Amino acid sequence: MAGRQIYNPDGFKNVEENGKITGYQFQFKAQYYRGFTLSIVRDIRVNVDGEDAAREDIRFTVNGETFTLEEMRTVVDSDYRWEFGDYATVTVLKEGGLAKGSHHIKAMQIIAPSYMPFQTEALCEADFEIA
Amino acid sequence: MNCRYRQAASLQMQAVTNIKEEQIMSYDIKRSVSLYSYQDEYYDGKLDLEGCLRETAKTGATGVELLAEQMIRRFPLPIETQEFRDQWFEWLKKYNLEPSCYDAFLENKIYDNRTLSLGEQINMMKRDLRLASMLGFKNLRTLVSTPMDVIEGSLDYAAEVDVKIGLEVHAPFSLNSGWADGYMEMIHKTGTKHFGFIPDMGIFCKNIPDVLRDKARRQGASEECIKIVDDAYAERLAKGFVKIKYDLNLGKANMEYRMANGMKEMMDAVEKAGGGPADMAYAGASFTYSWSEPQDLIDNIDYIFHTHAKFYNVHEDYVETAVAIPEVVEAFKKAGYKGFLSSEYEGGEHLRDVGVDSIEQVRRHQEAMRRAIEG
Repeated sequence: MAGRQIYNPDGFKNVEENGKITGYQFQFKAQYYRGFTLSIVRDIRVNVDGEDAAREDIRFTVNGETFTLEEMRTVVDSDYRWEFGDYATVTVLKEGGLAKGSHHIKAMQIIAPSYMPFQTEALCEADFEIA
Repeated sequence: MNCRYRQAASLQMQAVTNIKEEQIMSYDIKRSVSLYSYQDEYYDGKLDLEGCLRETAKTGATGVELLAEQMIRRFPLPIETQEFRDQWFEWLKKYNLEPSCYDAFLENKIYDNRTLSLGEQINMMKRDLRLASMLGFKNLRTLVSTPMDVIEGSLDYAAEVDVKIGLEVHAPFSLNSGWADGYMEMIHKTGTKHFGFIPDMGIFCKNIPDVLRDKARRQGASEECIKIVDDAYAERLAKGFVKIKYDLNLGKANMEYRMANGMKEMMDAVEKAGGGPADMAYAGASFTYSWSEPQDLIDNIDYIFHTHAKFYNVHEDYVETAVAIPEVVEAFKKAGYKGFLSSEYEGGEHLRDVGVDSIEQVRRHQEAMRRAIEG
Protein backbone atom coordinates (compact mmCIF):
# COMPACT_ATOMS: atom_id res chain seq x y z
CA MET A 1 0.00 0.00 0.00
CA ALA A 2 1.68 3.19 -1.17
CA GLY A 3 1.57 6.04 1.24
CA ARG A 4 3.15 9.35 1.97
CA GLN A 5 6.88 9.20 2.44
CA ILE A 6 7.74 9.14 6.13
CA TYR A 7 11.36 7.92 6.08
CA ASN A 8 14.20 9.41 4.10
CA PRO A 9 15.09 6.49 1.80
CA ASP A 10 18.74 7.62 1.84
CA GLY A 11 18.85 8.05 5.60
CA PHE A 12 19.33 4.45 6.79
CA LYS A 13 22.92 3.80 7.76
CA ASN A 14 25.26 2.55 10.43
CA VAL A 15 27.03 5.15 12.53
CA GLU A 16 30.79 5.04 13.02
CA GLU A 17 32.88 6.63 15.77
CA ASN A 18 36.65 6.28 15.99
CA GLY A 19 36.63 3.37 13.55
CA LYS A 20 33.96 1.42 15.42
CA ILE A 21 30.30 1.04 14.49
CA THR A 22 28.37 2.36 17.47
CA GLY A 23 24.81 2.20 16.19
CA TYR A 24 22.43 2.83 13.31
CA GLN A 25 20.51 5.83 12.14
CA PHE A 26 17.42 6.83 10.18
CA GLN A 27 15.50 9.99 9.35
CA PHE A 28 11.78 10.58 9.39
CA LYS A 29 9.15 13.32 9.30
CA ALA A 30 6.69 14.05 12.08
CA GLN A 31 3.22 12.65 11.47
CA TYR A 32 1.54 15.86 12.53
CA TYR A 33 0.55 18.96 10.59
CA ARG A 34 2.65 21.64 12.27
CA GLY A 35 6.09 22.22 13.78
CA PHE A 36 6.36 21.80 17.53
CA THR A 37 8.73 21.91 20.48
CA LEU A 38 10.54 18.66 21.26
CA SER A 39 9.06 18.86 24.74
CA ILE A 40 5.74 17.47 23.50
CA VAL A 41 7.33 14.34 22.05
CA ARG A 42 6.32 11.79 24.66
CA ASP A 43 8.21 8.92 23.10
CA ILE A 44 9.96 7.57 20.05
CA ARG A 45 9.82 3.79 20.00
CA VAL A 46 12.02 1.86 17.62
CA ASN A 47 11.75 -1.79 16.67
CA VAL A 48 14.03 -3.21 13.99
CA ASP A 49 13.66 -6.82 12.88
CA GLY A 50 11.51 -7.58 15.90
CA GLU A 51 13.95 -6.11 18.39
CA ASP A 52 12.91 -3.16 20.57
CA ALA A 53 15.52 -0.49 21.13
CA ALA A 54 15.88 0.66 24.74
CA ARG A 55 14.64 4.20 25.32
CA GLU A 56 18.02 5.16 26.82
CA ASP A 57 19.78 4.10 23.61
CA ILE A 58 17.82 6.50 21.41
CA ARG A 59 19.17 9.87 20.29
CA PHE A 60 17.19 12.54 18.44
CA THR A 61 18.77 15.21 16.24
CA VAL A 62 17.20 18.35 14.75
CA ASN A 63 19.05 21.29 13.25
CA GLY A 64 22.41 19.86 14.24
CA GLU A 65 21.65 19.43 17.95
CA THR A 66 21.28 15.98 19.52
CA PHE A 67 19.20 15.07 22.57
CA THR A 68 18.22 12.00 24.52
CA LEU A 69 14.48 11.40 24.88
CA GLU A 70 14.74 12.45 28.53
CA GLU A 71 16.48 15.71 27.58
CA MET A 72 13.81 16.45 24.99
CA ARG A 73 11.20 16.81 27.74
CA THR A 74 12.53 20.31 28.42
CA VAL A 75 13.61 21.43 24.94
CA VAL A 76 11.47 24.42 23.93
CA ASP A 77 14.03 26.46 21.97
CA SER A 78 12.84 27.88 18.64
CA ASP A 79 15.91 26.57 16.81
CA TYR A 80 15.31 22.98 17.91
CA ARG A 81 11.74 22.23 16.93
CA TRP A 82 10.59 19.29 14.87
CA GLU A 83 9.56 21.36 11.88
CA PHE A 84 6.65 20.34 9.70
CA GLY A 85 7.86 18.50 6.62
CA ASP A 86 11.46 18.24 7.81
CA TYR A 87 13.37 15.10 8.72
CA ALA A 88 14.58 14.49 12.24
CA THR A 89 17.49 12.08 12.63
CA VAL A 90 17.14 9.21 15.06
CA THR A 91 20.25 7.33 16.14
CA VAL A 92 20.03 4.07 18.05
CA LEU A 93 23.12 3.09 20.00
CA LYS A 94 23.94 -0.52 19.19
CA GLU A 95 27.38 -2.09 19.16
CA GLY A 96 28.12 -3.26 15.64
CA GLY A 97 25.04 -1.54 14.26
CA LEU A 98 22.93 -3.46 11.75
CA ALA A 99 24.16 -6.17 9.42
CA LYS A 100 24.44 -5.42 5.73
CA GLY A 101 21.27 -6.30 3.84
CA SER A 102 17.51 -6.00 4.33
CA HIS A 103 15.77 -4.93 7.49
CA HIS A 104 12.32 -3.92 8.69
CA ILE A 105 11.62 -0.99 10.96
CA LYS A 106 8.53 -0.27 13.03
CA ALA A 107 8.88 3.05 14.80
CA MET A 108 6.22 4.85 16.79
CA GLN A 109 5.96 8.62 17.19
CA ILE A 110 4.03 9.55 20.31
CA ILE A 111 3.27 13.25 20.37
CA ALA A 112 1.02 15.12 22.80
CA PRO A 113 -0.26 18.43 21.42
CA SER A 114 -1.83 20.30 24.34
CA TYR A 115 -5.28 20.67 22.80
CA MET A 116 -5.86 17.03 21.93
CA PRO A 117 -7.86 14.88 24.33
CA PHE A 118 -5.64 11.90 23.49
CA GLN A 119 -1.97 11.74 22.47
CA THR A 120 -1.23 10.85 18.84
CA GLU A 121 0.46 7.53 18.13
CA ALA A 122 1.78 7.16 14.62
CA LEU A 123 3.17 3.81 13.55
CA CYS A 124 5.84 4.25 10.88
CA GLU A 125 6.86 1.08 9.05
CA ALA A 126 9.31 0.50 6.25
CA ASP A 127 11.70 -1.98 4.69
CA PHE A 128 15.24 -0.70 4.21
CA GLU A 129 18.73 -1.74 3.21
CA ILE A 130 22.05 -1.26 4.95
CA ALA A 131 24.70 -1.04 2.25
CA MET B 1 -27.69 24.37 32.58
CA ASN B 2 -27.98 28.07 32.00
CA CYS B 3 -29.80 28.88 28.78
CA ARG B 4 -30.90 32.41 29.52
CA TYR B 5 -28.61 33.79 26.83
CA ARG B 6 -30.10 31.51 24.23
CA GLN B 7 -33.58 32.58 25.33
CA ALA B 8 -32.55 36.21 25.21
CA ALA B 9 -31.09 35.74 21.74
CA SER B 10 -34.27 34.04 20.58
CA LEU B 11 -36.42 36.88 21.96
CA GLN B 12 -34.19 39.36 20.20
CA MET B 13 -34.63 37.31 17.07
CA GLN B 14 -38.40 37.58 17.27
CA ALA B 15 -38.20 41.30 17.92
CA VAL B 16 -36.03 42.04 14.92
CA THR B 17 -37.49 39.59 12.40
CA ASN B 18 -38.45 42.48 10.14
CA ILE B 19 -35.01 44.00 10.34
CA LYS B 20 -33.43 40.57 9.67
CA GLU B 21 -35.42 40.45 6.42
CA GLU B 22 -33.53 43.53 5.23
CA GLN B 23 -30.24 42.07 6.40
CA ILE B 24 -30.47 39.32 3.78
CA MET B 25 -29.20 41.96 1.37
CA SER B 26 -26.55 43.35 3.67
CA TYR B 27 -24.22 40.37 3.96
CA ASP B 28 -20.61 40.66 2.81
CA ILE B 29 -19.25 37.13 2.49
CA LYS B 30 -15.68 36.85 1.26
CA ARG B 31 -13.57 33.80 0.43
CA SER B 32 -10.30 32.82 2.10
CA VAL B 33 -8.09 29.73 2.07
CA SER B 34 -6.45 28.38 5.18
CA LEU B 35 -2.99 27.19 4.20
CA TYR B 36 -3.68 24.15 6.41
CA SER B 37 -5.45 22.94 3.27
CA TYR B 38 -2.14 22.49 1.45
CA GLN B 39 -0.43 20.48 4.19
CA ASP B 40 0.23 17.40 2.07
CA GLU B 41 1.89 19.33 -0.73
CA TYR B 42 3.95 21.30 1.80
CA TYR B 43 4.95 18.08 3.61
CA ASP B 44 6.11 16.58 0.30
CA GLY B 45 8.10 19.69 -0.57
CA LYS B 46 5.89 20.42 -3.59
CA LEU B 47 4.78 23.79 -2.23
CA ASP B 48 6.50 26.27 0.02
CA LEU B 49 4.82 29.20 1.80
CA GLU B 50 4.89 31.44 -1.24
CA GLY B 51 3.62 28.59 -3.42
CA CYS B 52 0.64 28.19 -1.09
CA LEU B 53 -0.16 31.88 -1.41
CA ARG B 54 0.10 31.61 -5.18
CA GLU B 55 -2.32 28.66 -5.28
CA THR B 56 -4.69 30.48 -2.96
CA ALA B 57 -4.82 33.48 -5.28
CA LYS B 58 -5.50 31.22 -8.29
CA THR B 59 -8.78 30.05 -6.73
CA GLY B 60 -10.14 33.58 -6.70
CA ALA B 61 -10.00 33.78 -2.92
CA THR B 62 -9.05 37.17 -1.53
CA GLY B 63 -8.12 36.09 1.98
CA VAL B 64 -5.44 33.87 3.48
CA GLU B 65 -5.41 32.11 6.83
CA LEU B 66 -2.06 31.12 8.31
CA LEU B 67 -0.93 28.54 10.85
CA ALA B 68 2.36 30.22 11.73
CA GLU B 69 3.77 27.07 13.32
CA GLN B 70 3.06 25.04 10.22
CA MET B 71 4.89 26.99 7.54
CA ILE B 72 7.31 29.26 9.38
CA ARG B 73 10.41 27.44 10.59
CA ARG B 74 11.98 28.41 13.93
CA PHE B 75 8.67 29.92 15.05
CA PRO B 76 8.30 32.63 16.22
CA LEU B 77 11.75 34.09 15.44
CA PRO B 78 11.27 35.01 11.75
CA ILE B 79 8.10 36.97 12.53
CA GLU B 80 10.17 39.14 14.84
CA THR B 81 12.41 40.17 11.90
CA GLN B 82 11.71 43.08 9.59
CA GLU B 83 13.03 41.00 6.70
CA PHE B 84 10.40 38.29 7.05
CA ARG B 85 7.56 40.74 7.63
CA ASP B 86 8.55 42.77 4.56
CA GLN B 87 8.58 39.56 2.53
CA TRP B 88 5.18 38.57 3.91
CA PHE B 89 3.54 41.88 3.00
CA GLU B 90 5.25 41.86 -0.38
CA TRP B 91 3.70 38.46 -1.11
CA LEU B 92 0.26 39.59 0.07
CA LYS B 93 0.46 42.53 -2.32
CA LYS B 94 1.77 40.38 -5.17
CA TYR B 95 -1.05 37.84 -4.80
CA ASN B 96 -3.75 40.32 -3.82
CA LEU B 97 -4.53 38.62 -0.53
CA GLU B 98 -5.80 39.95 2.77
CA PRO B 99 -4.75 38.25 6.01
CA SER B 100 -8.02 36.73 7.28
CA CYS B 101 -7.02 34.78 10.38
CA TYR B 102 -3.95 33.70 12.35
CA ASP B 103 -4.27 30.24 13.89
CA ALA B 104 -2.64 29.92 17.30
CA PHE B 105 -1.89 26.75 19.24
CA LEU B 106 -1.93 27.38 22.94
CA GLU B 107 0.68 24.88 24.04
CA ASN B 108 -0.31 24.94 27.70
CA LYS B 109 1.02 21.43 28.22
CA ILE B 110 4.39 22.29 26.72
CA TYR B 111 5.98 20.53 29.70
CA ASP B 112 4.88 17.03 30.63
CA ASN B 113 4.95 17.57 34.38
CA ARG B 114 2.35 20.36 34.60
CA THR B 115 -0.14 22.57 32.84
CA LEU B 116 1.18 26.12 32.49
CA SER B 117 -0.10 28.54 35.13
CA LEU B 118 -2.82 31.02 34.21
CA GLY B 119 -0.28 33.83 33.91
CA GLU B 120 1.97 31.79 31.63
CA GLN B 121 -0.94 30.87 29.40
CA ILE B 122 -2.06 34.48 29.15
CA ASN B 123 1.49 35.48 28.18
CA MET B 124 1.48 32.81 25.50
CA MET B 125 -1.84 34.11 24.16
CA LYS B 126 -0.51 37.68 24.19
CA ARG B 127 2.56 36.54 22.27
CA ASP B 128 0.31 35.12 19.56
CA LEU B 129 -1.89 38.23 19.52
CA ARG B 130 1.24 40.33 19.01
CA LEU B 131 2.58 38.06 16.25
CA ALA B 132 -0.81 38.09 14.54
CA SER B 133 -0.95 41.87 14.56
CA MET B 134 2.62 42.13 13.22
CA LEU B 135 1.56 40.08 10.19
CA GLY B 136 -1.54 42.17 9.57
CA PHE B 137 -4.17 39.81 10.99
CA LYS B 138 -7.25 41.22 12.70
CA ASN B 139 -8.47 37.81 13.86
CA LEU B 140 -6.79 35.08 15.88
CA ARG B 141 -8.15 31.53 16.10
CA THR B 142 -7.88 30.07 19.55
CA LEU B 143 -8.54 26.35 19.93
CA VAL B 144 -11.70 24.90 21.34
CA SER B 145 -9.74 23.71 24.39
CA THR B 146 -8.68 27.21 25.49
CA PRO B 147 -9.59 27.80 29.15
CA MET B 148 -12.08 30.60 29.65
CA ASP B 149 -9.94 32.53 32.10
CA VAL B 150 -7.01 32.60 29.65
CA ILE B 151 -9.23 34.35 27.12
CA GLU B 152 -10.65 36.71 29.74
CA GLY B 153 -7.13 37.63 30.92
CA SER B 154 -6.07 38.46 27.35
CA LEU B 155 -8.97 40.70 26.35
CA ASP B 156 -7.37 44.02 27.32
CA TYR B 157 -4.26 43.20 25.28
CA ALA B 158 -6.40 42.02 22.37
CA ALA B 159 -8.09 45.42 22.39
CA GLU B 160 -4.69 47.11 22.59
CA VAL B 161 -3.39 45.39 19.42
CA ASP B 162 -6.90 45.31 17.93
CA VAL B 163 -6.91 41.61 17.19
CA LYS B 164 -10.12 39.70 17.89
CA ILE B 165 -9.83 36.34 19.62
CA GLY B 166 -12.09 33.80 17.96
CA LEU B 167 -12.89 30.62 19.82
CA GLU B 168 -13.11 27.89 17.24
CA VAL B 169 -16.37 25.98 17.47
CA HIS B 170 -15.10 22.65 16.19
CA ALA B 171 -16.84 19.28 16.18
CA PRO B 172 -18.02 17.84 18.50
CA PHE B 173 -18.71 21.27 20.05
CA SER B 174 -21.58 23.50 18.94
CA LEU B 175 -23.09 26.94 19.35
CA ASN B 176 -26.34 27.16 21.38
CA SER B 177 -25.05 24.78 24.04
CA GLY B 178 -24.14 24.86 27.69
CA TRP B 179 -20.53 24.97 26.57
CA ALA B 180 -21.04 28.06 24.43
CA ASP B 181 -23.26 29.71 27.07
CA GLY B 182 -20.29 29.96 29.43
CA TYR B 183 -18.35 31.99 26.87
CA MET B 184 -21.42 34.09 26.03
CA GLU B 185 -21.70 34.94 29.71
CA MET B 186 -18.11 36.17 29.62
CA ILE B 187 -18.81 38.34 26.58
CA HIS B 188 -21.78 39.94 28.31
CA LYS B 189 -19.93 40.33 31.61
CA THR B 190 -16.89 42.04 30.11
CA GLY B 191 -18.63 43.88 27.27
CA THR B 192 -15.67 42.95 25.08
CA LYS B 193 -15.66 43.59 21.36
CA HIS B 194 -12.56 41.41 20.94
CA PHE B 195 -13.87 37.95 21.55
CA GLY B 196 -16.28 35.80 19.61
CA PHE B 197 -16.72 32.51 17.83
CA ILE B 198 -15.19 30.97 14.73
CA PRO B 199 -17.53 28.19 13.62
CA ASP B 200 -15.88 25.26 11.89
CA MET B 201 -18.25 24.00 9.24
CA GLY B 202 -17.43 20.43 10.25
CA ILE B 203 -20.20 20.93 12.83
CA PHE B 204 -22.64 20.79 9.91
CA CYS B 205 -21.96 17.28 8.61
CA LYS B 206 -25.05 15.51 7.28
CA ASN B 207 -23.18 12.21 7.16
CA ILE B 208 -19.73 10.70 7.57
CA PRO B 209 -17.41 11.80 4.70
CA ASP B 210 -17.08 9.31 1.85
CA VAL B 211 -13.28 9.50 1.91
CA LEU B 212 -13.26 8.11 5.45
CA ARG B 213 -15.64 5.30 4.47
CA ASP B 214 -13.69 4.42 1.35
CA LYS B 215 -10.47 4.31 3.34
CA ALA B 216 -12.13 1.96 5.83
CA ARG B 217 -13.07 -0.31 2.91
CA ARG B 218 -9.50 -0.31 1.59
CA GLN B 219 -8.35 -1.27 5.07
CA GLY B 220 -10.75 -4.22 5.12
CA ALA B 221 -13.86 -2.92 6.90
CA SER B 222 -17.02 -4.91 6.16
CA GLU B 223 -20.13 -3.40 4.58
CA GLU B 224 -22.16 -4.72 7.53
CA CYS B 225 -20.09 -2.83 10.08
CA ILE B 226 -19.94 0.28 7.92
CA LYS B 227 -23.74 0.27 7.79
CA ILE B 228 -23.97 -0.03 11.59
CA VAL B 229 -21.75 3.03 11.96
CA ASP B 230 -23.53 5.02 9.23
CA ASP B 231 -26.96 4.18 10.69
CA ALA B 232 -25.78 5.22 14.14
CA TYR B 233 -24.71 8.60 12.75
CA ALA B 234 -28.07 9.04 11.01
CA GLU B 235 -29.77 8.22 14.31
CA ARG B 236 -27.76 10.84 16.19
CA LEU B 237 -28.70 13.33 13.49
CA ALA B 238 -32.40 12.48 13.75
CA LYS B 239 -32.49 12.49 17.56
CA GLY B 240 -30.21 15.48 17.94
CA PHE B 241 -26.70 15.10 19.31
CA VAL B 242 -26.26 15.22 23.09
CA LYS B 243 -23.94 18.18 23.48
CA ILE B 244 -20.40 18.06 24.85
CA LYS B 245 -19.74 19.91 28.09
CA TYR B 246 -17.09 22.44 29.09
CA ASP B 247 -14.34 20.61 30.98
CA LEU B 248 -10.66 21.42 31.27
CA ASN B 249 -10.13 17.67 31.22
CA LEU B 250 -10.54 17.25 27.49
CA GLY B 251 -10.27 13.46 27.46
CA LYS B 252 -13.00 13.15 30.06
CA ALA B 253 -15.35 15.56 28.27
CA ASN B 254 -14.79 13.77 24.98
CA MET B 255 -15.40 10.31 26.43
CA GLU B 256 -18.57 11.42 28.23
CA TYR B 257 -19.82 12.96 25.01
CA ARG B 258 -19.20 9.77 23.07
CA MET B 259 -20.91 7.63 25.69
CA ALA B 260 -23.90 9.97 25.88
CA ASN B 261 -24.26 9.63 22.10
CA GLY B 262 -24.42 5.87 22.03
CA MET B 263 -20.82 4.96 21.34
CA LYS B 264 -20.88 1.87 23.56
CA GLU B 265 -23.99 0.43 21.91
CA MET B 266 -22.56 1.08 18.46
CA MET B 267 -19.15 -0.45 19.31
CA ASP B 268 -20.89 -3.52 20.79
CA ALA B 269 -22.89 -3.94 17.59
CA VAL B 270 -19.73 -3.64 15.47
CA GLU B 271 -17.95 -6.20 17.64
CA LYS B 272 -20.93 -8.54 17.45
CA ALA B 273 -20.86 -8.25 13.65
CA GLY B 274 -17.25 -9.45 13.73
CA GLY B 275 -15.66 -6.05 13.31
CA GLY B 276 -11.88 -5.95 13.04
CA PRO B 277 -9.44 -3.04 13.44
CA ALA B 278 -10.63 -1.20 10.31
CA ASP B 279 -14.25 -1.42 11.43
CA MET B 280 -13.41 -0.23 14.94
CA ALA B 281 -11.33 2.63 13.55
CA TYR B 282 -14.22 3.74 11.32
CA ALA B 283 -16.59 3.51 14.25
CA GLY B 284 -14.37 5.57 16.53
CA ALA B 285 -13.65 8.16 13.85
CA SER B 286 -17.37 8.67 13.22
CA PHE B 287 -17.55 10.58 16.50
CA THR B 288 -15.27 13.30 15.22
CA TYR B 289 -18.07 14.56 12.95
CA SER B 290 -21.29 16.14 14.12
CA TRP B 291 -24.40 17.98 13.02
CA SER B 292 -25.87 21.14 14.48
CA GLU B 293 -28.47 23.49 13.03
CA PRO B 294 -27.40 26.29 10.65
CA GLN B 295 -29.98 28.38 12.56
CA ASP B 296 -27.36 28.50 15.34
CA LEU B 297 -25.29 30.76 13.06
CA ILE B 298 -28.17 33.20 12.70
CA ASP B 299 -28.81 33.19 16.47
CA ASN B 300 -25.17 33.97 17.23
CA ILE B 301 -24.18 36.11 14.25
CA ASP B 302 -23.28 39.11 16.41
CA TYR B 303 -20.38 37.07 17.77
CA ILE B 304 -19.13 35.46 14.55
CA PHE B 305 -16.44 37.35 12.61
CA HIS B 306 -14.64 34.49 10.86
CA THR B 307 -15.47 30.97 9.73
CA HIS B 308 -13.49 27.82 9.04
CA ALA B 309 -15.05 26.36 5.90
CA LYS B 310 -14.03 22.79 6.72
CA PHE B 311 -14.55 20.26 3.92
CA TYR B 312 -13.60 16.67 3.16
CA ASN B 313 -14.19 15.85 -0.49
CA VAL B 314 -15.71 18.04 -3.18
CA HIS B 315 -16.75 15.99 -6.18
CA GLU B 316 -16.35 17.03 -9.81
CA ASP B 317 -19.87 18.46 -9.77
CA TYR B 318 -18.88 20.77 -6.89
CA VAL B 319 -20.93 18.90 -4.31
CA GLU B 320 -19.16 18.23 -1.02
CA THR B 321 -19.55 14.80 0.57
CA ALA B 322 -20.56 15.75 4.10
CA VAL B 323 -20.71 19.46 4.96
CA ALA B 324 -24.07 21.10 4.13
CA ILE B 325 -22.51 24.03 2.25
CA PRO B 326 -25.68 25.43 0.58
CA GLU B 327 -27.69 25.39 3.82
CA VAL B 328 -24.86 26.98 5.81
CA VAL B 329 -24.19 29.74 3.26
CA GLU B 330 -27.94 30.43 3.12
CA ALA B 331 -27.96 30.86 6.89
CA PHE B 332 -24.99 33.24 6.72
CA LYS B 333 -26.79 35.31 4.08
CA LYS B 334 -29.97 35.46 6.15
CA ALA B 335 -27.91 36.51 9.13
CA GLY B 336 -26.14 39.29 7.25
CA TYR B 337 -22.68 37.80 7.90
CA LYS B 338 -19.75 40.06 7.17
CA GLY B 339 -16.53 38.09 7.01
CA PHE B 340 -14.58 35.31 5.36
CA LEU B 341 -15.43 31.70 4.73
CA SER B 342 -11.98 30.14 4.87
CA SER B 343 -11.49 26.80 3.08
CA GLU B 344 -10.02 24.16 5.34
CA TYR B 345 -9.39 20.91 3.45
CA GLU B 346 -9.24 17.90 5.72
CA GLY B 347 -9.77 15.01 3.31
CA GLY B 348 -6.12 14.41 2.47
CA GLU B 349 -5.43 12.33 5.57
CA HIS B 350 -7.83 9.68 4.21
CA LEU B 351 -6.22 9.59 0.78
CA ARG B 352 -2.52 9.32 1.55
CA ASP B 353 -2.39 5.69 0.43
CA VAL B 354 -3.95 6.54 -2.94
CA GLY B 355 -2.80 10.09 -3.63
CA VAL B 356 -3.80 13.56 -2.47
CA ASP B 357 -4.52 16.62 -4.64
CA SER B 358 -5.24 19.45 -2.25
CA ILE B 359 -4.82 22.08 -4.95
CA GLU B 360 -7.68 20.64 -6.99
CA GLN B 361 -9.83 20.09 -3.88
CA VAL B 362 -9.41 23.69 -2.72
CA ARG B 363 -10.16 24.93 -6.25
CA ARG B 364 -13.38 22.94 -6.27
CA HIS B 365 -14.35 24.04 -2.79
CA GLN B 366 -13.80 27.71 -3.57
CA GLU B 367 -15.99 27.29 -6.65
CA ALA B 368 -18.67 25.50 -4.59
CA MET B 369 -18.66 28.38 -2.12
CA ARG B 370 -18.69 31.00 -4.87
CA ARG B 371 -21.78 29.38 -6.36
CA ALA B 372 -23.52 29.24 -2.99
CA ILE B 373 -22.64 32.85 -2.17
CA GLU B 374 -23.52 34.33 -5.57
CA GLY B 375 -26.40 31.95 -6.36
